[in-house]
Amino acid sequence: MRNFGRITAREKSEFIWGWIFILPTMTGLIILNIIPMFQTIYQSFFKTGDFGKGNIFVGLANYQKVFADTEVWQALWNTIKYAIVEVPISIIISLVLAVFLNEKIKGRSAFRTIFFLPMVAAPAAIAMVWRWLYNSEFGLLNQILPGKANWISNPKIAIYSIAVIGIWSIVGYNMVLFLAGLQEVPKDYYEAAAIDGATGIQKFFNITVPLISPTIFFVLVTRVIAAMQVFDVIYMIIDITNPALQKTQSLVCLFYKYSFQQNNKGYGATVVVVLLVVIMILTVFQMIGQKKWVHYN
Amino acid sequence: MKAKRLAAMLLSSIMAMSMVACGGTAGTADNTTAASGGDTATETETEAMKGSVEGELTVTIWDENQRPGLQQIIDEWSAQSGVKATIQVVGWDDYWTLLEAGATGGQLPDVFWMHSNQAQKYMENDMLMDLTDKIAASDKIDMGNYYQGIVDLYKSNDKQYAVPKDIDTIALWYNKTIFDECGVDYPDDSWTWDDFVDAAAKLTNDDHWGYAIAPSNNQDAFYNMVYSMGGEIISDDKKASGYDKPGTIKAIQMCVDMVQKGYCPDLNTVSESKPEVLFESGKVAMTTQGSWMVAAFKDNEYTAANCDVAVLPKDATTGKRVSIYNGLGWAAAANTKNPEAAWSLIEWLGSKEMQEKQAQLGVTMSAYEGCSDMWVNCTDAFDLNGHMQMLNADLVFRPYSKYTTTWEDMQTEKLKECWTGEKSVEDICKEICDSMNQTLSEE
Repeated sequence: MRNFGRITAREKSEFIWGWIFILPTMTGLIILNIIPMFQTIYQSFFKTGDFGKGNIFVGLANYQKVFADTEVWQALWNTIKYAIVEVPISIIISLVLAVFLNEKIKGRSAFRTIFFLPMVAAPAAIAMVWRWLYNSEFGLLNQILPGKANWISNPKIAIYSIAVIGIWSIVGYNMVLFLAGLQEVPKDYYEAAAIDGATGIQKFFNITVPLISPTIFFVLVTRVIAAMQVFDVIYMIIDITNPALQKTQSLVCLFYKYSFQQNNKGYGATVVVVLLVVIMILTVFQMIGQKKWVHYN
Repeated sequence: MKAKRLAAMLLSSIMAMSMVACGGTAGTADNTTAASGGDTATETETEAMKGSVEGELTVTIWDENQRPGLQQIIDEWSAQSGVKATIQVVGWDDYWTLLEAGATGGQLPDVFWMHSNQAQKYMENDMLMDLTDKIAASDKIDMGNYYQGIVDLYKSNDKQYAVPKDIDTIALWYNKTIFDECGVDYPDDSWTWDDFVDAAAKLTNDDHWGYAIAPSNNQDAFYNMVYSMGGEIISDDKKASGYDKPGTIKAIQMCVDMVQKGYCPDLNTVSESKPEVLFESGKVAMTTQGSWMVAAFKDNEYTAANCDVAVLPKDATTGKRVSIYNGLGWAAAANTKNPEAAWSLIEWLGSKEMQEKQAQLGVTMSAYEGCSDMWVNCTDAFDLNGHMQMLNADLVFRPYSKYTTTWEDMQTEKLKECWTGEKSVEDICKEICDSMNQTLSEE
């Protein structure tokens, strides 16, 4: 049995310094994330009063309302539709880009910078620019393309128009992650494959994809989580008069509407707890599914 | 391995939650057009709202266009009182988010604007300084001098919580060039709503529409028609919806007919480009707009050169010409560290001289009756008598209750369905009526 009273001075100092190093992060996480998370869950059992005063405990009433609220289910479906379009397409595009930009081509860093630029711009600014591009009367898209489409006010296509913005914004970031993953792949594999006469496409599917599958998995998990929380682009582009509002608003938009616009924080909290549960379930499935296709060394 | 996976899952769920938490603060949208004064506010950098500091006043507003004029008025007060006062501008959306956070945490600014959408909530929760006794003791402020609706708005349980600042009126803005092109006479005070619809028909062709209206244009559009035609939005005691009144249905039917017949752009178009944007680019011949839009139209080269403003039409049957008005109020925080100075500034801002000065500087029309005449001369581009004369029309205060936003948003969302022709106006009005009565019964 180990005697804890007799740890060496070195172990003791490592223990103390270890804690000191993670302390800033832990403090931030606890104060900004973990405590509010439990407060949100707690709040979802209340009918909240103004300025945080006079909350009335209502038990599961908010949850009963959520499950009967077709608007919430429609919003969940909108969110899922967005995620289904945004996540796979952005991953495919950025993976292909990363592979090309990993080769020695002219102006490589210039291209990398260009693709990464959307990440640097503020989401609100991006949304405003796209809103004008899509505008049916004055927008660039309708000036160039034949016919007149209501990109962001036709309920059938608006959510996909928004997903396009999402893809455009995130491709650069994903690409940088994939580039980092590609640096780890040993060159010998490619050389061996070349000797065996493999084509570029064969190399991509048989060497690149399996070897950077941990990176793909990481990007997939974080992007699904982020896509399920889509808010700013929709909020900026689709306003309350928009006929596509019902078919585009995400769960977070609903949360914002109830919590901050209609001052019903209890119900807003309930909506966001539902979102949390959905995200957790999706993440668990991905964690289980990873065994089938992710190769750790 | 198990522990590692568990840790990974825990981490991802924390990340999920943290992103949810961040979602709420991101993004600023353009203002609701109904917000008096807020509409033309330029986006300013979001800084944290400053709380009360002893010996110095923090004044918070949301409209950048009004800052220079108000700063001038406040500087005069500082020169007399020796107390420094700085204006802080926070955009309309952030304003209410930050004000609510400030109220919850006891960190409100000293002096700030109140609006009909939110006033009731702040007054009932004792967030605002009770000004009743101070007004009674003052020789400068008498509530009888201001437009009654604004005074009543900032009154709760017989206590006055804010001094009226300004008033707005709605008028009919028109594009002279399009009128000339189509050979239609400019609107004047003889126009009825029927003349208005006829003109809209004549002014419509492939290049432009006669008029533009979205379901969210309430105070600046269909509310005026509703009250002009003898309908109402909410009963006087704020307990019942007025959507079952024939006048209300008639007015909304008129708007919907104009959209269906093509005199107005369809819902898709107005939701992407607001009526004022279409007007500013010569796509519509007429638009109803609040006086808070003058600053924006004045600065726009196209509207300054081609457009002008006239009074709203009246109704042929009732003979009523109605302007739905609203007005901001100057309020102080209940827990301010400088109660004396805060009141002194509010008294100064509400005094006859400064209300006149506010109009003269072209900040806004003033809430003090008879002080707005100078406002007409604040620009040469338009004949602002269109807005001024609306002060002599039937002034109806903008319909509100404690949770105005809740039923107003619902009303906008429901009206969209008759704009697109999915449902009839009668059915939608019935639905709005039921839902609104439900909300009002919970207040």
